[in-house]
Amino acid sequence: MKLAGNDMLIQSLIEEGVEYIFGYPGGAALHIYDSIFKQKEMEHILVRHEQGATHAADGYARATGKPGVVLVTSGPGATNAITGIATAFMDSIPMIVISGQVAKHLIGTDAFQETDMIGVSRPIVKHSFTVDSAENIPEIVKQAFYIATSGRPGPVVIDVPKDTTAPDKLFEFKYPNKVDIRSYKPPIEPDPKQIERAVDAIIESKKPVIYAGGGAINSNASEELRRLNEILDFPVTNTLMGLGVYPATHERFLGMLGMHGTYQANMSMHNADLIIAIGARFDDRITNTPKLFAPNAKIIHLDVDYSSVSKIIEANIAVFGQVKNSLKEIIKLLEGKKELIDSKKIIPWKKQISDWKSQHGLNHEMHLCETDDQPIMPQAVVQHIYNITKGKAFITSDVGQHQMFAAQYYHFDEPRKWINSGGLGTMGFGLPAAMGAKLAYPDDEVICITGEGSIQMCIQELSTCTQYNLPIKIININNEALGMVKQWQDMNYGGRHSASTYQSSLPNFVELAESYGHIGIKIEKNSELKSGLEKALSIKDRLVFVDVYVDPNEHVYPMLVAPNGSLKDMWLDKETKT
Amino acid sequence: MIQRKLSVILENKPGALVRVVGLFHQRGYNIESLHVDPVEDLNEYRFVEEKLNINLKEGEVSHLIIATTVNDNLLRQILRQINKLIDVLMAEEIK
Repeated sequence: MKLAGNDMLIQSLIEEGVEYIFGYPGGAALHIYDSIFKQKEMEHILVRHEQGATHAADGYARATGKPGVVLVTSGPGATNAITGIATAFMDSIPMIVISGQVAKHLIGTDAFQETDMIGVSRPIVKHSFTVDSAENIPEIVKQAFYIATSGRPGPVVIDVPKDTTAPDKLFEFKYPNKVDIRSYKPPIEPDPKQIERAVDAIIESKKPVIYAGGGAINSNASEELRRLNEILDFPVTNTLMGLGVYPATHERFLGMLGMHGTYQANMSMHNADLIIAIGARFDDRITNTPKLFAPNAKIIHLDVDYSSVSKIIEANIAVFGQVKNSLKEIIKLLEGKKELIDSKKIIPWKKQISDWKSQHGLNHEMHLCETDDQPIMPQAVVQHIYNITKGKAFITSDVGQHQMFAAQYYHFDEPRKWINSGGLGTMGFGLPAAMGAKLAYPDDEVICITGEGSIQMCIQELSTCTQYNLPIKIININNEALGMVKQWQDMNYGGRHSASTYQSSLPNFVELAESYGHIGIKIEKNSELKSGLEKALSIKDRLVFVDVYVDPNEHVYPMLVAPNGSLKDMWLDKETKT
Repeated sequence: MIQRKLSVILENKPGALVRVVGLFHQRGYNIESLHVDPVEDLNEYRFVEEKLNINLKEGEVSHLIIATTVNDNLLRQILRQINKLIDVLMAEEIK
């Protein structure tokens, strides 16, 4: 089959099974857009800003595990995609970003809409390619998908000079079935010796904790983790990125750990004698001060990325490989040594943890209030959403207090249902990410829990939702301020709210949503909260924007004491420190 | 802390060198000296072929030598970060 460069590019994407491509056209990408017009196998979603395209592709990738695909033009199209690429990079999300580029003979001449996209994106991609000749397009696309999805996943940029997609030059098209990159061999199977050492340490431990993160989700290791803990019955905590990989409603689940983790999760980590880290990277939001982290714990670290192990916290036992495979091997060996597992040994530890939980665990009752003399508490909003959806919805979030309340009070029992920007902390992520998840799972409930600050960073995508009829639900937890910034200013800057309020400049979100053709609901009173949310979530065929006015003075707790604190040092409320 | 020399074998492709050099700044490491040549005489590089089970051709890869002053832990981290780059075949300390 003979094809031109533009058709080869699109045909290669089709060969990779791409269903949706999120993008925005422009001069350097027009040949490619013409090829999109001529085919029927995949659908192009026209966003309203390239940042929205990357977050939507990212949301699709997180919900499905398949790579998200983005197409943008050169110059501003490419640079607008940068925040979304960095977001995917920090959270190890597979993504392919195709950026148009000026024709090869114009590169370096400061041509119209020319930007060195390879240079600009270099620190935030797993890898990048420039198409040097149209003939190489199939090979490059094949390699790009392989790199993006294997090992520790991440975004890959393909920069495509316009002349390599010219429709008038034809080449023989054959999509490669195999890919082999001699300089890239991510570990797959773990070293059996390390598995043995890990199992021995597990059997010896008296105060173990399993600490699982986003890598366990990326590796689709949820089932293996659950099976492992049927044998061990160890306490489990998840990172912000790992929520759902172990069922939140399980008796052994401690809740999230870290900066806004639960009291029992942070205390368990601090006092543990064994931490089994599974696809987690000891981020600074987890460890607090690294040299004070878990002083008595032996660390087993399962990861696919060599450079994540012993980067912040030295691992005693490092198990490199796909964590799914490593867990399988651990399970296999443990099953052979079942008689050595003494479940009585950890009974005092479990008792201690249950005491911690009853002392200072999250209090679900205190936020619920039916009377209108009290303001609506943001936690109550999340709790009602959880109850109405029975914990089954896809929840996307933006960044700030609402994100933490969602992570704390929506209890995820399944992986990939919680979609948020954990590493980069990108405001504006929630709405486009919800679009991507809704396209992937049109029959599931997809809810974006956001705040009035974050939602305005990508609010233009309400228009995309109109065009493609994406009936997501947006719950705007509106405290009329940049809540997390304000909380830090309250706690560390004497309550000086520098640039964290809007001075009555907020739009009428109900009218705004209606002007895009959606339904808007405003909730200001406790007595309206439950019924208002129920009404919004009962509407299946329309986007509903719910603007909920909450207590502007509420803070997120627990909160780690920083700097120089350990995991046992927490603020439990505005007055109480551990 | 003492000065260390790192030896990096990477694909001789446009953009490969800058990924290694860029990584130093990105991760907060300092480059004290840098030397790079395409590998023409393969006899000295048979160990690369053996370790990776590949056959090299003349001029196909480059040999980069970087000097930097770091402690042992950071050295290990730098080498792992460099090895992670897709175009890098091998990175190790010259002892």
